[in-house]
Amino acid sequence: MFLHNLKYSLKTLFKNKMLIFWTYAFPLILGTFFYLAFSNIENSEKLDIIDIAIVDNEEFNNSIALKESFRNLSGENEQEQLFNIKYVDLAEAKTLLENDEIAGYLLVEDSPKVIVKTSGINETILKYVTEEIIQNEDVLTNIIEEKLNSTVIDGSIEEFIQNVREDAISMLDTSSLQIRDITSKKLSYTMIEFYTLIAMTALYGGIIGMTAINQNLANMSNNGKRIAVSPTNRIKIIFSSLLSSFIVQIIGLFILFMYTVFALKVDYGNNFPMIILLSLTGSLAGLSLGLAVGTIFKINENLKTGIIIAFTMLGSFLSGMMGITMKYIIDTNAPIVNKLNPVNMITDGFYSLYYYTTYNRFYFNIISLLIFSLIMIILSVLALRRQKYDSI
Amino acid sequence: MTVFKTFSQVLNKYKATVLMYTVMLVLFGGLNFKTSDNNVNFTASKPDVLIINEDENIGITKDFIDYLSEYTNIKDIENNEDSINDALFYRDVNYIIYIKPNFRESILSNSPNKDEQFKQLISSSDRTIVEIKTTGDYQASIADMLVNKYLHLADIYSNTFEDENEIINHIQKTLSLEVETELTSKVDTNTLSQVTFYYNFLSYSVLAGCVYVICLILSSFKNKEINKRTIISSMNYKSFNLKLLLSNCLFAIVLWLIYIILGFLLVGSIPTNYLIIYIINSFIFTICSVTIAFFISNLINNKNAINGIVNVVALGSSFLCGAFVPMEWLPDFVLKIAHVLPSYWYIKTNELLKGVEVFNSITLKPIITNMLVLIVFIIAFVVLTNIVTKLKLKK
Repeated sequence: MFLHNLKYSLKTLFKNKMLIFWTYAFPLILGTFFYLAFSNIENSEKLDIIDIAIVDNEEFNNSIALKESFRNLSGENEQEQLFNIKYVDLAEAKTLLENDEIAGYLLVEDSPKVIVKTSGINETILKYVTEEIIQNEDVLTNIIEEKLNSTVIDGSIEEFIQNVREDAISMLDTSSLQIRDITSKKLSYTMIEFYTLIAMTALYGGIIGMTAINQNLANMSNNGKRIAVSPTNRIKIIFSSLLSSFIVQIIGLFILFMYTVFALKVDYGNNFPMIILLSLTGSLAGLSLGLAVGTIFKINENLKTGIIIAFTMLGSFLSGMMGITMKYIIDTNAPIVNKLNPVNMITDGFYSLYYYTTYNRFYFNIISLLIFSLIMIILSVLALRRQKYDSI
Repeated sequence: MTVFKTFSQVLNKYKATVLMYTVMLVLFGGLNFKTSDNNVNFTASKPDVLIINEDENIGITKDFIDYLSEYTNIKDIENNEDSINDALFYRDVNYIIYIKPNFRESILSNSPNKDEQFKQLISSSDRTIVEIKTTGDYQASIADMLVNKYLHLADIYSNTFEDENEIINHIQKTLSLEVETELTSKVDTNTLSQVTFYYNFLSYSVLAGCVYVICLILSSFKNKEINKRTIISSMNYKSFNLKLLLSNCLFAIVLWLIYIILGFLLVGSIPTNYLIIYIINSFIFTICSVTIAFFISNLINNKNAINGIVNVVALGSSFLCGAFVPMEWLPDFVLKIAHVLPSYWYIKTNELLKGVEVFNSITLKPIITNMLVLIVFIIAFVVLTNIVTKLKLKK
């Protein structure tokens, strides 16, 4: 009986087009949209080579420091090329700026001046770089002055100044003070979007569980009525229905994983067993949610689906599906909300596998999911016990 | 009139669902507008920085922190490693600076007249005085420049001068040399980019709202019995379609008005000439959404499929055309595909409008062209709908 029901339950689930659309196709489509929209976002936030212009007048050509420094910063073979410079006259610089072809231009008259259209990042960098060049000149003057005052010179003054200048310039290039970059290599925040997608799919699995359980409920389907009057063990039947929906759910999740890993290049971290553990626990949470909604509410199937979808979408929203900032805002300002949100438990689990080096946060999420599932199952058992109908 | 009456009766029947859906979209537009505030305005030139000072806050260490406070936004985050790492991951800060305990001592030990033995002792030890974590984006690059600049100055001046105050004074004096910067544009780009973001997002809400509600209502007209009665009536199918379309437009215009009013409440005032174009553009797009919805509803017969179609159509065109993620951040090939979708032309106009300074024939030309493309889409969808209806009638 167990196997018989399992087989037919699987068949009916796979033949339900709406069900397969929401739990199989929709996550794949949404994942593709995410990929198309977000694949470039982190690259476009990185510093690009900035187009600027310099007014090529006499004053600029006389200022060796500015001329040399900007030439170095725009050399195409330089490792850290910062600018792409056009040397033009004032009228053309103005036109270029007007047509948004450059971020700004440098005009040297009595003192250097930066002209930009609006205030922004590229404009700020142009300003800062120009300032740094002028400040470095100031440093050289100060140091030479100090050395002239404090040392007794033997030999010609020009030679001495030349030496100090060269020393100082080499110091500007190499600092004895060290900065160490200790950033983690895994900082890709768009990954969160895909984690919420997996989480959403896991909980949408609840729809599958709910549909399967409806087949066994006397008040939901004719099939259920027949089962209710038949002399079979109800626990066996319900359990095999749940197992079949769990199988359908896992297959859907597996397809989604394959698609996101191989086609969309999503990074789930390297801990394979933990990823499986989290997916199975997440699916269990979805299944138990579907079971609870299916048994507790005495309403029609569409409304039950509506409840599961609304619950999952709200959870996805709070865990960052429509903008990852939302997850951070909730996590820092109202942590209890996301600690109770099963979508976030799954999302946060993947996040901690990807970004964290320790497993405390991961296990916390796994345990939360298990507790959530347990509560849902207990509620369903209470609702299912001793169901009897005199008439329906 | 008969058609419109029936339409309003059906609308009345579904009013709870329609109202709930509309409220949800409106809320979503409003909420998203506020929370996304940070992401869109990447024009702010002060990076968000977190400083973790493990040294004493005196002398040159204090001066370094004061300097950073002047040129960056110092963030205050709970001092535990997890919160700090989370803040970096979610881009709450762009740059984290750990000032090591040996910061001040290492800089001052450069001093020219210090005991040689002491110098050697220091130079043999770890010379890392600052550790950083960076998101590697634009803002972080600025923070990087600022930190490097200060440490260079500190290094050079501490090699030349002995007294800490003298070093600090020289650093401050050098840093106070600024370059004059002149702004040529008088347009308030900040508000305009916010308005543009709002109107771009509106394309999702309007499209989703129209497709969902119109498909829902029209599915009642698709009921076999009702459909048969409509067909045998004396009304021509073209005239029937037109009347139905006009009734739908009425609903859509109400929806559109709600969003325009919400826009006023959220964003406040912008120059009238900009506002007029934003409003005209969104109006044309709303009508276009109606014709899309009308076309889709003529294609499908299954009421259960509506939800799926709404999500695929509305989310699809919003993601591909830049309603959620700004157009300039989308990959080129996505934008090429997007050309076939009406949302692209609508959003393109909003983006163009953001950069306009003077309204003349040159700046207005591309905007008007985009609007014309939208109108062509409207006509195309109406014609297609009629073709579909005719084909179905022949069957």
